[in-house]
Amino acid sequence: MDPFRRRTLELSPSRLVAAARSVLPFIAVLGVALGVHALLYRWQIDDGGVFFYSKILMDIGISIILAVSLTMVNGFTGQFSIGHAGFMAVGAYTGGVVTYYGAMKLFDPANFAAGYLSRSLPMDGPLFGAADGLFLAACLAAGLLAAGLGYLVGLPSLRLRGDYLAIVTLGFGEIVRVIIERSRNVLPDAEAAAKVPAAALPLHVGGASGFTGLQPFTSPFWVILLAGLTVVFAWRLKYSSLGRAMISIREDEIASQSMGVHVTRLKVMAFVVAAFFAGVAGCLYAHQTGIQLTPKDLAFQKSFDIVIMVVLGGMGSISGAVLAAAFVTALPEWLREPTSVWMYGLIALCVVAVFADRRLRAALWVVGLTAGAELLLTVARRAGIELSQYRMIIYALMLILVMIIRPQGLLGLNEVWEIGPFRRLRRTPVAPARGAAAPAGPGGSP
Amino acid sequence: MSLLTVEGVSISFGGLKAVQDFRLSLEPNSLCGLIGPNGAGKTTAFNLLTGVYRPDRGRITLGGRNLAGLRPHQITAAGVARTFQNIRLFPDLSVLDNVKIAGHLRSDAGLFGSIFRARRQRGEERAMTERAMELLAIFNLDGRAGEQARSLPYGDQRRLEIARALATEPRLLLLDEPAAGMNPQEKKGLRELIRGLIRRFDVAVLLIEHDMGVVMDLCQRITVLDHGVIIAEGPPAAIQKDPKVIAAYLGKPAEGEKGEG
Ligand SMILES: Nc1ncnc2c1ncn2[C@@H]1O[C@H](COP(=O)(O)OP(=O)(O)OP(=O)(O)O)[C@@H](O)[C@H]1O
Ligand SMILES: [Mg+2]
Repeated sequence: MDPFRRRTLELSPSRLVAAARSVLPFIAVLGVALGVHALLYRWQIDDGGVFFYSKILMDIGISIILAVSLTMVNGFTGQFSIGHAGFMAVGAYTGGVVTYYGAMKLFDPANFAAGYLSRSLPMDGPLFGAADGLFLAACLAAGLLAAGLGYLVGLPSLRLRGDYLAIVTLGFGEIVRVIIERSRNVLPDAEAAAKVPAAALPLHVGGASGFTGLQPFTSPFWVILLAGLTVVFAWRLKYSSLGRAMISIREDEIASQSMGVHVTRLKVMAFVVAAFFAGVAGCLYAHQTGIQLTPKDLAFQKSFDIVIMVVLGGMGSISGAVLAAAFVTALPEWLREPTSVWMYGLIALCVVAVFADRRLRAALWVVGLTAGAELLLTVARRAGIELSQYRMIIYALMLILVMIIRPQGLLGLNEVWEIGPFRRLRRTPVAPARGAAAPAGPGGSP
Repeated sequence: MSLLTVEGVSISFGGLKAVQDFRLSLEPNSLCGLIGPNGAGKTTAFNLLTGVYRPDRGRITLGGRNLAGLRPHQITAAGVARTFQNIRLFPDLSVLDNVKIAGHLRSDAGLFGSIFRARRQRGEERAMTERAMELLAIFNLDGRAGEQARSLPYGDQRRLEIARALATEPRLLLLDEPAAGMNPQEKKGLRELIRGLIRRFDVAVLLIEHDMGVVMDLCQRITVLDHGVIIAEGPPAAIQKDPKVIAAYLGKPAEGEKGEG
């Protein structure tokens, strides 16, 4: 055995400790998902008016899955994919087919009901219904099919240099949309479905007018669980040898391959994994209350929203993607009834004072932007303009501003806890070398 | 038996015959030089050896294994590592991570092991960190392990590139103008460093360098390229006197030149 392998074994933690630490974050995510779900559920029984917030929460959760997964492609390996919604659409329709036709074919409709986990609203039903299992299977199938297509799309285009991927993914998204628009009417009931061979059922997903009749299985539990798993996945990947190798591709592809990194393999891997999570997010999206699943809602515009989240948050920053996903998702809601922005400006000023590298410059930008936004809001209010209709213009403006002020995005490659005063607290994995003098404190000289 | 044998390797870009009929033979633990005026094809020769370009013709063997046609990461795994004429570090990553990435090719981490942080991966991560720190200590960079690579002074960046290349555990190390942009003191340190590497890491070194002081002092044998063709080969003393070499360099400043590659 070579010395490196031997040393690897010597330094491995004990089996029990390793196993416990390996699964801990996953269990924590499960716990949080159950806890929040229970709280929201309780709350909604007490007071019927809270539904709006759990809806926003679920929207944000789905956006987080999309943004964090795209970060693995656009942020880690430095590719530029602009067809993420295409994979989301594949997942949405796959999941829809599984729950809609699966429920008809596999279950007796009389006792097929959503259980506690798959209900975002208090209503009658069992604690655990068959629907919980079916929905989980639907999400898995959605992810797997999206991942498979990701492999087919990614393998040829990722071998090529440069921006081919952007063009190919854009084309892919459009092809998915057009194919779905050509599909046939949804079969209304089990009787109609019985007349069609099972293999032909996926053809009946409603075409351009949408896949009607999907049940609202998406609940805070599923969204928090799957968003949490996505974040843990991305995080662990980023701080692993594999993830570092991925990031090295974005840093310098030539150097990366010259250091022995199998560039194509890792690019394809990141792309396929991202497609998987996009598919899962699509399945969650399709089964939301109040959503009419149509292909045009998952077209280029949606892909663009996701790219904006990744760019705003910072290419390669997981916490940045999470924050940006929350921001970009909540913004249109806020724009419907905009309030004064001075308070947000003040909060931003405090954040900047603590975190920013060049405080004065950053503070001036914040004050300027707040004043500008306030002016815009006032003008819009006076002129009676509905700002939420100009969402895309506002996004585009934000993108331009970010490119001017902070081209690397809000956080760049860093995580929230790696900037500002936290930088010194950050656990830098600097182990003292054997036989060598102990290095200066973690992080070296600041 | 020689470590590296190159026979009749050629490549042309469109009509330009960038390297023609290149040949080379390197003994294990030897230190040889590759020189020539700007645009002679030296960097292109490195790119051919490391698989960045595929040779149109010719054979490249390392320890008996044919390298021609392999992809760059395979050639690195086979034991050839390099630095770049215009520094190519991973600028946003820490000094430590730069070196650890070069250790990734010895890792057996799959996606599953990475996401679940399997026991083996945890041990491997620690072993990688430890090895990288040892390497950085040799290059006196261990105190800056946590800093971003881009924030290092120029000379340190050049040395970090060498440390990173060594982290792939090569048998042959290709250095493309390592002394470029260094001051005389740094150059002196670099000479000592390169000489020390050979024994310490059990590698052979092939060096491209415009600084004749460095080349003549370090190299046992020197190959001279001009317009893609080898015009001379031999020990430093013979090269210095070779009329063809003198003619090739005539009217061209031989020192302190830094072109792009
Ligand atoms: N990818 C390429 N496509 C076209 N021409 C190329 C390519 N790479 C190199 N060349 C040409 O091949 C010739 C040799 O270039 P090379 O970079 O190998 O020179 P060099 O000896 O390293 O010079 P320097 O001392 O300036 O670094 C040059 O004329 C260059 O323009
Ligand atoms: Mg060169």
